[in-house]
Amino acid sequence: MHTWVRGLCLLALAPAIAFAQAAPQTPPSQPAGGVSRAWFVAGGAFATLRGDCQECEQDFPYRHSGAVMVDGGYRVNARMDVGAEVFWMPIDTSQGNIRTTHLDAVAQFRPWASHGFFLKGGAGMAFVRNWVDTLSPDSFNEKGLSVIIGGGWVVRPTSRLGLQFFATQHAFALGDLQASQGLINDVIGNRWSVGAAVVIR
Amino acid sequence: MCTHANKVAGLTAPRDVYHGPSWAQRRATICGGVAVVMLGSMLWGVSLCAAQSTQDAPSPDAIGPPTMLSDQITHFVADSVAQTAGQPSWIVERRACEGCPPRSVGKALFQTTVVNVFYGLANLIRGQVTAKVTPKTWWANMEQGWVWDLDDFTVNQIGHPYQGNNYFNTGRANGLSFYESAAVAAFGSSTWEYFGETNHASLNDFINTTLGGIALGEMFHRTAWLVRDTRATGRGRLWSEIGATALDPITGVNRFMRGDSSRVTDKPADMVPSNLAASGAAGVLWRGTQGNDFTADAQAFVEVDAVYGDPDKGHSRTPYDAFAMKLRFGGGSSLSEARVRGRLLGQPLGDGGVQFSVVQSYDFQKNDAYATGSQSFEGAFGFTHNLSSTTRFLMLGWGGLTVLGAIDSLPIGLSEVPVEEETGDAGQGVSEGPRFYDYGPGSDFGVTAIFSRNNRPFATIFYEGRHLFSLDGVRANHFLQRGRVDLALPLRGAFGVGVTGEYFDRRTFYQDPAATRVNYHYPQVRVYLTWGLS
Repeated sequence: MHTWVRGLCLLALAPAIAFAQAAPQTPPSQPAGGVSRAWFVAGGAFATLRGDCQECEQDFPYRHSGAVMVDGGYRVNARMDVGAEVFWMPIDTSQGNIRTTHLDAVAQFRPWASHGFFLKGGAGMAFVRNWVDTLSPDSFNEKGLSVIIGGGWVVRPTSRLGLQFFATQHAFALGDLQASQGLINDVIGNRWSVGAAVVIR
Repeated sequence: MCTHANKVAGLTAPRDVYHGPSWAQRRATICGGVAVVMLGSMLWGVSLCAAQSTQDAPSPDAIGPPTMLSDQITHFVADSVAQTAGQPSWIVERRACEGCPPRSVGKALFQTTVVNVFYGLANLIRGQVTAKVTPKTWWANMEQGWVWDLDDFTVNQIGHPYQGNNYFNTGRANGLSFYESAAVAAFGSSTWEYFGETNHASLNDFINTTLGGIALGEMFHRTAWLVRDTRATGRGRLWSEIGATALDPITGVNRFMRGDSSRVTDKPADMVPSNLAASGAAGVLWRGTQGNDFTADAQAFVEVDAVYGDPDKGHSRTPYDAFAMKLRFGGGSSLSEARVRGRLLGQPLGDGGVQFSVVQSYDFQKNDAYATGSQSFEGAFGFTHNLSSTTRFLMLGWGGLTVLGAIDSLPIGLSEVPVEEETGDAGQGVSEGPRFYDYGPGSDFGVTAIFSRNNRPFATIFYEGRHLFSLDGVRANHFLQRGRVDLALPLRGAFGVGVTGEYFDRRTFYQDPAATRVNYHYPQVRVYLTWGLS
């Protein structure tokens, strides 16, 4: 084989050689003793919320606002993190304002260890504080079931510090909720959100 | 207060409970048929297993890490970097062991979509208008988000978990771990809800399909591996693979397609239980009334109980390496009880006398006092004491959270479900309600004490309490209690006789202005013949 052909082959293989050399430096799937398994995510999102009820005739509006998301938990292995998530979203309405907080147990799973794509799911409780200025200066508070599904992409998935982009959908079932139109039964709300967050492992 | 109540209040003629008697009956018949096939397969499968000795599976600790399949795969991938020409072919095929399926996340997700298409086509062939999906219906579902649905109780609490078991097993059949397959079940469930039907995506279906699918899926997957005899050849091998396919169709079909159904290998080590105990019972029961009087009519029932692995001991991080399963057919309902409790992790405490476990539960109960179904997670403490060389005492207490439970519920003022005439306006498959059961989260707790001799229980005391708060439907707190005492007497060989006294109690605290309170209870006595299957 000509020298220049060998040179080209070496050049073509260079990234692979470099990758193979770098591989031992990447964190193993099971951190060694003394290495933290903590998983922490914090970020913001743009969210759209729509409340609804099972047999209502009204057409409820979509309401948009910013939101804050924080995850804290435990790294099970290279592909899976589990923990708790707090998602908070305040909205101003013409009648007052609504603050919703979700406290969920979540699991985040990356099907392919070499890629940043992840799926997320969980369930927990939703807390809603609804201020209706025309009815009362105090908030009407309800709590109920919360479910979250979503997915996204995390950049630098195996390193200590990363960045993730996500899209999630929350559903929250509250039972009854006092609104300006009166007491609404069998309330179920949906929230769609897209955002970004810093990941610390 | 309740929209269901408003609907019911306007009734002048008897009305159907859900969405037309013919369809409900047909669905019940289908569910009953599936249940009978499953029971037959299980009885046959377990009896086959009785002939195969259980081998002592090495404990996760004995093997050392990695204990989870995902970790094994990670190690396998790392090892394969240094692959040589002399390595066995199964490593090249991305199998975690010789008898394991090859790993493929892409295939698992694709097959989940195939399962959705299969169910969609089946609904279309049956003439359901909800199966006529288009991109417009997909977009409408995405715009709406999750809602509660009005489907039949059995469909939601049995049918959807069974469908979820198919999604889950596309993961298991393609070499994914338990938790990876759980994510696949959630993927399959959510895509079905949004894209598989014209109905809006149902939150209760999503939870029941995903969590119920995980519980039933892993139970069926492991039971199918009990039936499968991978060292056999010829006709016996074929029938064992067919039997396993009846229990876990997805894994079975994958094995036939890949040619694994005829390969002679060892079973995957984590699919061999450290212990196996199963029993069947057939007999009659007499149900009491609110006044504690017993009716003269006896109702026949058949029951299967199985305990896989050693739930009461061992350090375990392998989900469902130990689980308990109970199925009861007849006794007033085609399927009156289905229960799966799978250990997610186990940890001995202290000197090992007390065992702590985290358990996932799937429950379905239908009796005269209540019909309920739930998806729960519990913490359990077990204590075992050997009274003699052959007699053992086990006490188990548990408590936990119910993510979502269903409970039959009548609007205040009604004592029985009214019958509705089917209008047929909405088309087949569309549930218009009213729905006489409610959904909500809750909690559960219980305790049981079991005395056994030579691993066969001869006396059992059982108590279980469950609380559900209905978030959708008639707003109320439901408190369900059940107490039971079993006495069993061995006869000859594997046969024995048993008698059980049970008491069901239900208290419903409505959240209406009058704080209405309703109490139902009834006793039940069962007499039966038992036979040990292992």
